[in-house]
Amino acid sequence: MSYRFALLLLVMAGLVVAFAPLPVQPITPQERTFEIDAHQFAYSPSELHVNPGDTVTIQLVSTDVVHGLYVDGYDISVEADPGQSATLTFVADKPGSFRFRCKVTCGAMHPFMIGKLTVGTNDWLYRSIGFSLLAIFAFFRFPRVAKD
Amino acid sequence: MKRPELISRILIVTGILLAIGAPLLLWARTPLIHARMAENGGWNPDVIQAEAGKSLHLKLTSDDVVHGFAVGQMDMQSVDVIPGKVTDITLTFDKPGIYTFFCTRWCGLNHWRMRGTIEVSGSPLDPEPASVPLYVSLDLDIDAPHDSSIIPNQKPSAVSGQQLATQLPITSYQSPDYYRSHSPYQVFTDLSDTSLTESQKWDAVAYLWQSNTTPESLANGKELYAQNCAACHSENGAGDGVFADDLAEAGEASMQTMEGAMDMVMQSPVDFTDPRRMLGASPALLQGKILRGGMGTGMPMWGVIFTEEQIWDLIAYIYSFQFEYEK
Repeated sequence: MSYRFALLLLVMAGLVVAFAPLPVQPITPQERTFEIDAHQFAYSPSELHVNPGDTVTIQLVSTDVVHGLYVDGYDISVEADPGQSATLTFVADKPGSFRFRCKVTCGAMHPFMIGKLTVGTNDWLYRSIGFSLLAIFAFFRFPRVAKD
Repeated sequence: MKRPELISRILIVTGILLAIGAPLLLWARTPLIHARMAENGGWNPDVIQAEAGKSLHLKLTSDDVVHGFAVGQMDMQSVDVIPGKVTDITLTFDKPGIYTFFCTRWCGLNHWRMRGTIEVSGSPLDPEPASVPLYVSLDLDIDAPHDSSIIPNQKPSAVSGQQLATQLPITSYQSPDYYRSHSPYQVFTDLSDTSLTESQKWDAVAYLWQSNTTPESLANGKELYAQNCAACHSENGAGDGVFADDLAEAGEASMQTMEGAMDMVMQSPVDFTDPRRMLGASPALLQGKILRGGMGTGMPMWGVIFTEEQIWDLIAYIYSFQFEYEK
C-alpha cells in the first residue's frame, strides 16, 4: 500500500468522522417545563437540556430585582418582576448550545448572569473523540518522513 | 463680504445657536434624580419642589437596577427608570399639597421604602377636608385578633349562594355599607335565624361578597395585587412570596436589636388563603391595614399611594382567595 493511498484513506476516514450522520433513534418531541429562579447574579438551574423539537416552557421567577432572560440564537426573551413570574414558551427547533442571559440591567455583575440551553446531543464531543483516535492511529502507523 | 450679508450671516448663526442651545440649556439645568435601592439611599433628592398649575419636568436615572417612578393617588402611567438611561417625565399638579412618589418596579426586599415627596406649593383653590377612612369612623382596632371561630368545610361558592338568594331576604344585606362594615363571619352569624344549613350560609355570604364587587373591580384589584403585594404575599395569596423568607430573616435580626421583644414577631406575610383569619376580617378592617400598613413589620403603608377606590378593588380581590366566584 502506497503512502499516498494510505494518506487518502486517512483523509476519507477523517471526512466520515466529521460529516457522517450519527445513528439517532427518533425521539418524540415532548413538552418540558422549567422553573428558573433568577437572582443576583445567577439562574438556578442555569443549564437546560432538551431534545430538538421539544416545546419548552420556561417559568422565570425573580427573587430580588427585575430580571430577564434572553436566549441567544432563538432571539426570544422574557422579563419578570419579583411576585410576577413570567413564562416563555417556544419550540426548540434549532439544535446546538445556546447562551441565555439576563436582559435587564440587574446590578454590577449583570453581564455575568448567564446560563446555557442545550438542544439535542453534543455531536461534536463524539466526533472529536473519533478525530483523536484517528490522530493516534496515524501517529503510530504512518512511517515518519525522515528529514535529512 | 458686504455688510448686509455679514449681518444676515451673523443673524442666522445666532438664531440657529439659540434654537438648539436654549432647549439644551434648559434640559441640562433640570437636576437629575438618581434612583438607588433603598439600602443604598433610595431617591436622591427625595424631596422635590413644585408649583400648582405649572408643569414639573423631571429627569430620572438609576444607579443600580431597574426602578420605576409614579406619583401616588395620581392618574398617571408609571415610567421605568433604567440604569444608564435618562427618563424624562413632565407632571402637572392641579392642587397644592404633599404628594408621594414611589418606585414601581420591585428592586429588592426594601423596594417599598423607596419613596419621596413632591411638595406642591400654591394657593389652595378649594381646600377639601380629607374624609375619615371607614375603619376610623367605625372605631375598629385593626391590630386586635379577629379570627373567625367557625370556618367552612370547603370554599364557599357564590354560584350556589345566588340560587339561595331568591328565598332569602338577602337584599337587606346587600348595601355597600353593610358589606364594608361586616366580616364574612359576622354575616354568617346574622344569617343564623334562617333555615339554611351551615354550608348554605357560607355560600350566601360568598354571593353577598360577589354582589358587592364587579368583574372590572376584581381585574383591577388583581393587577394591583400582582404589582404591589404578590412579591411577599405570593401570587396565590398563601403568604409565601419570593420575599417571605428574607422578611422572616430580616424580622429576626430586627427583633434582636429590640431586646427580646419577641411577641412582636409579625414579619411573615399574612396568608390570604387562611379562612380563620380572612373570614373574620371585614373590608373596613382590611382597608385600615392597607391604608396604615403593619407598623414594625414589612407591610408598607399604602394610604398615600392608592386611591380609596383602588383599595376597595384590592380588598375585593383579596377575598377571592376565600370565595369561589362566578367565572
